Amino acid sequence: MTTLISTDTVNIIQKNFQQILIRGDGKDQFNQIINKEISLQPPSKNLEIKISDKYIFAKNSFDQWTLVYLIEQNYKEIIKTISSLNSNDEILASDYSYGQVYFEVSGENKDEFLNKLTQFDLRNKKFPDLSMAQTLIARIDCYIYKLNNKYIITCNKSYEDYFKERLVDLINL
Amino acid sequence: MILINCPYCGEREQSEFTNGGEAHVIRPKDPDALNDKDWGQYVFYRSNPKGIFYERWVHSHGCRKWFNAVRDTSTDTILKIYKLTDNKPDISEFQNTLESPSGEPAVGSGNFAVKK
Amino acid sequence: MPALRNKNCNYISKKEIKITFDGKSYSAYEGDTIASALLRNNIRLIGRSFKYHRPRGIYTCGIEEPNALVQILNEHNEPNTRATVKRVYDGIKICSQNRWPSLSFDIGSINNILSPIFSAGFYYKTFMGPKGFWKKIYEPLIRRTAGLGKPPKNFRSKSIHQNHNIDILIVGGGLSGLIAARKLIGTDYEVLLIEQDSFLGGILKNSNKVKKVDGKNVFEWVKETEKLILESKNIKILKNTLVTTYNFTNHLIALEDKYAGKKIDINKSELILHKIRTTHTILANGHIERFISFRNNDLPGVMLASSFEKYIERYGVVADEKPVIFTNNSSTISLVKSLINLNCIPSAYIDSRKIDDIENDTKEYLSKNNIPFYPESEVEGCEGNKKVEKVYIRNSHNKISFINASMLCPSGGFNPDIHLFTQSKGLVKWDDKIISFKPDTAFQNTITLGSVSGNYEFKNLCKEINKKLSFLKASDLNLEIETNIRDDFSIKELWETKINKMSKWSKSFIDLHNDVTTKDLKQAINEGYDRIEHLKRYTTNSMGTDQGKISSINSLGIVSKILNKKISEVGTTTYRPPYAPLSFAAIAGRSTYEYYDPERKTPIHNWHIKNNAVFEDVGQWKRPWYFKRNETETMHQAVQRESRQTRKTAGILDGSTLGKIEIKGKDALEFMNLMYTNAFSKMKPMTSRYALMLGEDGMIMDDGIICKISDKHFIATTTSGGAPKVFAHMEEFLQTEWPHLQVYLNSITEQFTTFNISGPKAREIVGKVFSEIDFSNEKFPFMTFKTFNYKNTQARIMRASFTGELGYEIYISPQYALELWELIFKYGKDFDLVPYGTETMHLLRAEKGYVVIGQETDGTVTPIDINFNWMIGKKKKDFIGKRSLTRSDTAREDRKQLVGIVPLDKSQFIEEGQHIVECESLPSKIKKPIEYLGHISSSYHSPNLNHCISMAMIKSGNKLMGKKLFVSTPKGTKNIPIEIVSPVFIDPENKRLTS
Repeated sequence: MTTLISTDTVNIIQKNFQQILIRGDGKDQFNQIINKEISLQPPSKNLEIKISDKYIFAKNSFDQWTLVYLIEQNYKEIIKTISSLNSNDEILASDYSYGQVYFEVSGENKDEFLNKLTQFDLRNKKFPDLSMAQTLIARIDCYIYKLNNKYIITCNKSYEDYFKERLVDLINL
Repeated sequence: MILINCPYCGEREQSEFTNGGEAHVIRPKDPDALNDKDWGQYVFYRSNPKGIFYERWVHSHGCRKWFNAVRDTSTDTILKIYKLTDNKPDISEFQNTLESPSGEPAVGSGNFAVKK
Repeated sequence: MPALRNKNCNYISKKEIKITFDGKSYSAYEGDTIASALLRNNIRLIGRSFKYHRPRGIYTCGIEEPNALVQILNEHNEPNTRATVKRVYDGIKICSQNRWPSLSFDIGSINNILSPIFSAGFYYKTFMGPKGFWKKIYEPLIRRTAGLGKPPKNFRSKSIHQNHNIDILIVGGGLSGLIAARKLIGTDYEVLLIEQDSFLGGILKNSNKVKKVDGKNVFEWVKETEKLILESKNIKILKNTLVTTYNFTNHLIALEDKYAGKKIDINKSELILHKIRTTHTILANGHIERFISFRNNDLPGVMLASSFEKYIERYGVVADEKPVIFTNNSSTISLVKSLINLNCIPSAYIDSRKIDDIENDTKEYLSKNNIPFYPESEVEGCEGNKKVEKVYIRNSHNKISFINASMLCPSGGFNPDIHLFTQSKGLVKWDDKIISFKPDTAFQNTITLGSVSGNYEFKNLCKEINKKLSFLKASDLNLEIETNIRDDFSIKELWETKINKMSKWSKSFIDLHNDVTTKDLKQAINEGYDRIEHLKRYTTNSMGTDQGKISSINSLGIVSKILNKKISEVGTTTYRPPYAPLSFAAIAGRSTYEYYDPERKTPIHNWHIKNNAVFEDVGQWKRPWYFKRNETETMHQAVQRESRQTRKTAGILDGSTLGKIEIKGKDALEFMNLMYTNAFSKMKPMTSRYALMLGEDGMIMDDGIICKISDKHFIATTTSGGAPKVFAHMEEFLQTEWPHLQVYLNSITEQFTTFNISGPKAREIVGKVFSEIDFSNEKFPFMTFKTFNYKNTQARIMRASFTGELGYEIYISPQYALELWELIFKYGKDFDLVPYGTETMHLLRAEKGYVVIGQETDGTVTPIDINFNWMIGKKKKDFIGKRSLTRSDTAREDRKQLVGIVPLDKSQFIEEGQHIVECESLPSKIKKPIEYLGHISSSYHSPNLNHCISMAMIKSGNKLMGKKLFVSTPKGTKNIPIEIVSPVFIDPENKRLTS
């Protein structure tokens, strides 16, 4: 965890999380299998987030979910979960644990600051709490999760340097 | 830049989407049965009407899902968005403001400013 | 002696500053614009006109200025700045434009004498011949004299973009905008109010027309309103921000000048481009006064009446104490009142309306203050040496007299500022009451309020606003508005006055910016240009940077009279964004230079940097191109060294950028068979296959290696640049054509780092690194893969070759990428393992005749063209592109096919892109086109063979083995003799791969 930006009105911290990307049909059998593996029912509404101490579980679209581990697990356990899920023909679970970067954005001016890099409508009436979206930020494909007055933004790790430079550049202008 | 109402993500900026050309062009089930001309028609030819147009979009910088839209190309207005699994809306549902293929809509084409 | 100051002006500070204009220093006040500062110092001559270089002064007080364009010498040396908009600061250096050697003595004014040549259609009729003159004479001359200012050099702006998503946008912080804003205070709507000036108020501060609002004087009311808005939670104000563009759907662009009135800090963003998405747009952006055409209506000293009034009320400077006022409407009397309040008496008040049509209040006021009054009269023209000295008046009895005056203030009426409304694709309608176009049919959620909607009456303003905003959940507002002018607006149509005497110097202008005269307009119509869009382009009327804001409606009036049509039939030209000049720096924002495109780096990027890699861009990726062993090594030397070493012992490439897609599901096998040309059904699990992906037209789209884990689980690799495209292509077919197939895809490009190690010693090196794996040929055959555990992560190693050498591809979790890479080098040192980049990769592939997608293929190449028939699954009923392979054109025998090329003289080098021809040298006189047989697609100096090797696509290549042809070279040199050979230059029996 490293602090990237810290001002009176905007805070950005870089963190690391493990993650699994899951494809499936969201029907009863799928829900049962997931629940058995991680003791959590997958969210059923599109863009909805379920959050616990251990996980952020989000539904990205009608057949895709992301499971973000808030507490670091023994990686062997994650591999086991993935294998177990993949033993079902109708599920594809891919490991996303070490190929993404994560930024936690908070502060009273976070919306205005992020709107210098993205056109996405961050207002509560369009982007309610405990929901997520896939959109473009700084021209990079990102996932953005809204949790209780802060955002977690994640994208591919190859963009890390460029993304950080864009953030730091804007805070100074 | 128009706003497009993705059926899965809600209203988003046009820059998140990519246009996918004409909709309801079905890939022939038996390509070998077609002669070169008919196969060429499927591969290379698409309609380009002025007026009501059924087209496809994909939310390439969002959920990456495909969906259909009905757009009035003379005013660049999206009239309806429907999922791939929905029925194709009948053209009578839409008020086609053009009287002929080369006509101008009463308002919204941007080609003239004074009310006729 | 400075001009008279209006001490009652609340908008200019008392702080004195110094500015420089054309080398001389002048005093000004903080808050002044360049124009108001110069007027304070009685400077009238500001520039020279575009075509005729006539002396010009300050015509208006705003964005609509056609003449007063100056160059700012400090900052970025910005040209064509409107003196009427740009605010000064202490130390600003300004100079006038378009004149040489000086403003008062300008050689360019000779154009005035030559003016008959510069009439309408000038640009279309001249400079046509004689042949050769354009390049040598006309173009250089035009380049030197054209344009207005000089372009800036070497400047990098730090402008940013700010996106907004709101419910209601109010454009204009004037009377109507402020009333609308007040209504919305405390409601649930998120509102943004945008104002171009640094103070709110609009007509309340710019003029003397309104006395009181809601019982308070205008300054107090605006201050109170602003305070209430700032305290509200739902309304934000942006000042110094001009809305330039109204797009579809309800998306607007506004430009904010963060350094208005201040010296620019180059470390901060000076401009902000606001991109606003709103549900409702309220246009309250007011009106613009228009001029009148008369003889010499362009002399310095002619200034629009409302602008003169704005200089008095808003900037506190009286440009002239005894101006002549010329009007055709009931609003201009407020200017007279402003002057009388400061004890200045106009030299004359000329009103073109009949005496019975003129308001009694006006007639009484003029009489009471002894102002010479000329009803039913018009200005015939004015004269003077670089400034107004005499004004000629034609009275109601058609008699012409003159008076001496130094300022003439015409008012031809007011145009609702419909630019933004028509940009939104709304339609306007002609209104005979105000004699102008006003908004009629909106196309989007647009509401117009106040003068922009054609409502010039103050008493019913609140009623209008309440009615138009009744659909919003907000309470009505009823304010009493007291005015200094009569409430019902009256105007008489007047576009141009009758000219009495014309001299060579006299002109009556219809467009001041581009120097278009009324005579030009009439001449063009005589020549047959009677459609307004043609007329505009033929005469360049209203095509300047001011977009004809004070004059284009006038031109429609004149045209309609000549054509004997109604103005609504003549129509208007299309108003195009931006509304005012918009800096490219603002449009680009921060997406320029190093931030132009997102950059992607692999997990071991820093190692590459430490080891002197030179990078190349592959799509968004930064890939090592080659590694410099020391400072003096050239690219050629590095690539030769890397290539030689790899075939001698071993080389390793960072292949992390190549796309990887995970494909899984019950129908995965059927899906793979449809997407690629190969037959995957009989493929054994844990084996790999090189595969081709075609477009529906049969042309090669991408290639890759497919690893089959099982019939229901595959991993496909793609090219680096093709990864997103292939993934999207697959998803498209799954979603739109074959939703019945149960298959899921995930992109895992970033979830594994990939290393390619090749060379005779590759096996020994990987054997040492992964001691638990048996790499023998029997246990690890060519084109198979194994999964294994590396420090508790899933890893994979595949035996494949990208270079024609024995090779392995290692997939490892990014967290251990650097560690493993360094470990490989630790063991590889004993074998002289060398890192290599993309250039070497291409060279090694070329030596083996392996094509590179995008190099040999260009979207018009089929698998058969490059001898890949063996990759097509013949028994497959269908796959994407199959049917197209048998189209008559795709199956043609004389298509361009892949061959190898060597020069007959082994010391010669062939360049990529050169053409293959039959002739030995270019004939001295080329009578017919030289036939193009093909082109060189790749070409390298092979260090392993020590001569140039090339791959080419040439017509009927398969039949030309052994043929001698030529590669065409630039004119003057002999073509290079070549021989067509097999493209596989090294190890044609593939012994190295399968050892």
